[in-house]
Amino acid sequence: MSFFGFDTTLPRDRASLNDRRGFFEAPDPFAEVARARAQAHQDADDDDVIDFEDTYDGLGDQLNDDQDAFNDDTFGGAGGAGPVGKDFDFFGKTAQVADAIGEEQFRYSLQKPGVPAGAPAAAAQPPAETALAEAQPKRTGYEKYQDPGYIPDLQAKSSVWGMPSKPEPTSQSQSQMMSQARRMMSLEEVEAQLRRQPASIPTQLPVSLPHSMPALPQPIQRVHMPLPEDFPQLPPEILQAQFAKGVPPQLLHQPPMTPEGYPLPAHAPNMPLHLLQNANLPPQHMVGPQRQAMSPAPQRPQQQQPPPPPQGPRGNNTQQMPVITNAQQLMHLTEEQRMAYFMEDAKRAKRNHKIFLLSKGNGLMTPQDKNFITRIQLQQLVAAAGNMADSDAEAVLAEDFYYQVYSQIRGAPRQHPHQPLGHFAQTYLLQTGNRLGGHGSRRQFQSADNHMQRMQQQVQRAVEAAKQKPKNKQLIIEGSLGKISFSNAKTPKPMLNIKRPESSEGANSAKKPHTDLSLSDRKSVLTNLEGVYSTLMEMEDMERTMPPPPDENDAEAIQKHMEWRQNIRSLNQKLWRELKVMEPIVPNTNTPHPFIAFLSYPKGKKAIPRIFRHIDQEQRVTILTMIVVHLDSLDVVRRAQPVPGETQPSLAVREAIELFSQAVMPSLLGYVNEAPFNIIIGLLGLVIAQTHVQMVAKTRIGLGVLTMLLSRAEIVKEAGQATERDWQQWVEKFNVLFDTLEPTFADIFPSSINAGDDMYVWQFLAAVGIGASPEQQQRLVIAVKDRVMETVTYSKTLPADMASQRLNNVNLFMRAIGLDVELLG
Amino acid sequence: MADTEDAGTSSVSEPLDLVRLSLDEIVFVKLRGDRELKGRLHAYDSHCNLVLGDVEETIYVVEDDDNEEETIRTIKKQEEMLFVRGDSVVLISPQA
Amino acid sequence: MENGAPSEGKDPSAFLSEIISAPVTVKLNSGVVYKGELQSVDGYMNIALEKSEEFVNGILTRSYGDAFIRGNNVLYISAQ
Repeated sequence: MSFFGFDTTLPRDRASLNDRRGFFEAPDPFAEVARARAQAHQDADDDDVIDFEDTYDGLGDQLNDDQDAFNDDTFGGAGGAGPVGKDFDFFGKTAQVADAIGEEQFRYSLQKPGVPAGAPAAAAQPPAETALAEAQPKRTGYEKYQDPGYIPDLQAKSSVWGMPSKPEPTSQSQSQMMSQARRMMSLEEVEAQLRRQPASIPTQLPVSLPHSMPALPQPIQRVHMPLPEDFPQLPPEILQAQFAKGVPPQLLHQPPMTPEGYPLPAHAPNMPLHLLQNANLPPQHMVGPQRQAMSPAPQRPQQQQPPPPPQGPRGNNTQQMPVITNAQQLMHLTEEQRMAYFMEDAKRAKRNHKIFLLSKGNGLMTPQDKNFITRIQLQQLVAAAGNMADSDAEAVLAEDFYYQVYSQIRGAPRQHPHQPLGHFAQTYLLQTGNRLGGHGSRRQFQSADNHMQRMQQQVQRAVEAAKQKPKNKQLIIEGSLGKISFSNAKTPKPMLNIKRPESSEGANSAKKPHTDLSLSDRKSVLTNLEGVYSTLMEMEDMERTMPPPPDENDAEAIQKHMEWRQNIRSLNQKLWRELKVMEPIVPNTNTPHPFIAFLSYPKGKKAIPRIFRHIDQEQRVTILTMIVVHLDSLDVVRRAQPVPGETQPSLAVREAIELFSQAVMPSLLGYVNEAPFNIIIGLLGLVIAQTHVQMVAKTRIGLGVLTMLLSRAEIVKEAGQATERDWQQWVEKFNVLFDTLEPTFADIFPSSINAGDDMYVWQFLAAVGIGASPEQQQRLVIAVKDRVMETVTYSKTLPADMASQRLNNVNLFMRAIGLDVELLG
Repeated sequence: MADTEDAGTSSVSEPLDLVRLSLDEIVFVKLRGDRELKGRLHAYDSHCNLVLGDVEETIYVVEDDDNEEETIRTIKKQEEMLFVRGDSVVLISPQA
Repeated sequence: MENGAPSEGKDPSAFLSEIISAPVTVKLNSGVVYKGELQSVDGYMNIALEKSEEFVNGILTRSYGDAFIRGNNVLYISAQ
């Protein structure tokens, strides 16, 4: 037995079959192969040394098959029995190179017919090669490899070699070396070398190695090391005998020459390597598909470069075949054909390179995976968009809390609150579900659904678990030492256990008169504010859970709706109480009305739009009335009074004004724009009667409210909705207002012309001008003409766009009384 | 949370209520190390961790001058938004 | 502690409950003293004072309408 466990006597046995032929006498290389195959089968029967069962390491038995049922889910369910087509999604990207694969398969099948046993290399290998190959005693154990059925054994045998995966490259490199040597040597030389070999191989081989494959990577060089150890064991006679017998050396090539068209059973892991190597091949070498399968492909160029000796029979063979497997074949082609080959090869090299680059992300996700993710995302979208709102409002809130709350606060105008928003997503889910199930079996469709269900259940479980976890609970352990409480981040451990003030009723009641002194003291107002916000949030939450419009026939639904309405009503009442709008107005007092105090806080101003959404018209007009009556005590009016020496109010006041303009005014305007005329008249009357109009008019908010009322009246008049009596009433009030304000028309502007925006003043003046009689208009022009001229002059010093803005503001007023700044030009 | 009782009752039943009422209002905060903050209270928690907006920070630095007399120098800083870790807070007062 | 002793002065919690809304003096670890009406105290000794005045080294430095004092700074609370 040799070091490698081969029975070295086998070659001699086998020699009897081949001894009648020399290498060059073989008229048909295929005959050699066929003979070798027969021989190999024979070997398989009697050769106990390399037996699959003996050498198989049993790894395959350890495979975990129980998940195989999901293979169809993963790979698209072609079914194991079916042929592995182009769409076998091994890399996910494979489809993109389907052309290349198809091409290679075609090439392979073209070569295959001549050698049905799958030994196409025999045709490509010149018979001369055998001369040297025969010198390898080791080949004798490999005959059976010509049978493609033995390919998997390559891996299994690694245990015999004790060096996994090395045997293969070894045999390859041996044969490749030989083939190269063969081309450069005559038969005599070969013989001479063979005679020398027993003694010289250990030195010769390493010498020849760098020569033939200078660029070989380290591992492959190492592969050759076992060789010398083996050779000395072979007596030279054996080598000679083998040489004489002419055992076809190409058989050695069979194992590596796995046709690419095969499903790559044992070679699959090498796939990327092949791609890489292909990419590196110089374009001038047309590499047959079977050669691509050889791992040390980079050697090829070197081997094929030496000009080959003319080979009669081989040449004929290759001429008939459309595939170039050897550089020699190129020589026989016309220039045009060669160019075509080069081009095609370059194209393929490029493509292979691209594939290699793309292959980095291969296998991470299959299209099915991607589709799966998309479906999960869409599922969430559907859930968040309110599809499940019908059944579980809480789930929707949990899905997208901030959006839900925001839309409640904003009162987002959703026309059909119970029509799911996620129509698109749903449709998509349904259709992709159908599509997925369409090309597969029914079971597959269900499994796709199961994914979603499982995902949902999982999420649900996670949420449940999170809910069950106690929140912010003080951790108290009761043991032999009594209660020990721990503090944590959420609940620091209290040092004292202080009873709530309920226990000290006396102290509280003693203090009560103090707090009751005013409902407008800071803390009371802030407490009211807090109450208002809490109630608002409750109402907004209630709105979210509004039951669908009741069906007349469904008593239960009607009942539910009634209850809901009742809840909303009571919340509305609570809100109204907390707003303190109805607190009696105390005349001649320094403490502002609670509601006005409420409005003086930014929080209060910001609450108004939200409040207006939840109160009825009557409540709105009450609030508006309250504001109008207290116009001059509003913080934004009171504190905005021009101070001598100051061009504008302080920053804090300006911020308050800005906030009032943005939060409160739109709500008021929204009501005023729909208010009946008599209410407008009444409000104007209240302003005149209850407030210091001249003071009000000097502020932006005051003027804003006045403008609001004046313009509404004008619109009502224009629309012909005002009765004669109403109009008379209005004109009366208007005249009072005009007369009151006339002396201060010039003072309602910001003190300085360049103090900023004065548009609101011109708007007010325009509103006054429209409603004014011609005589009043004249008085108005006289009152403000200085400011008009000043602004026109000033605008001439401004950049064009700013100037036109200022003039446009002035024109608001001028046009209202039938004039234009252009006329002043 | 919302007191459903009438506002006649004391609005401050525990000290932190005072801070809660000052949400979205300007507060004055005294910190350890002679620092003071004034800004709008956006958020707080039971540790007195605070989030303040538009903050003016005042730092008082005691300096010995040549005559060994102590003078107090103030440094003012403006911050758009500030997170204050609770353990440095000494006092919080709403600014009326 | 746990027995809720009715006798005055024995139970700090009871004491603190009693002095609610009474004028108090609060001294901090830093030595700063606050005088004002006690609005409330909690288990962390956080204190809410009303109409309080701040004394540093005995000198009135500030007054607050309302003041929240973080409990960890408190040295003592005494009824005036």
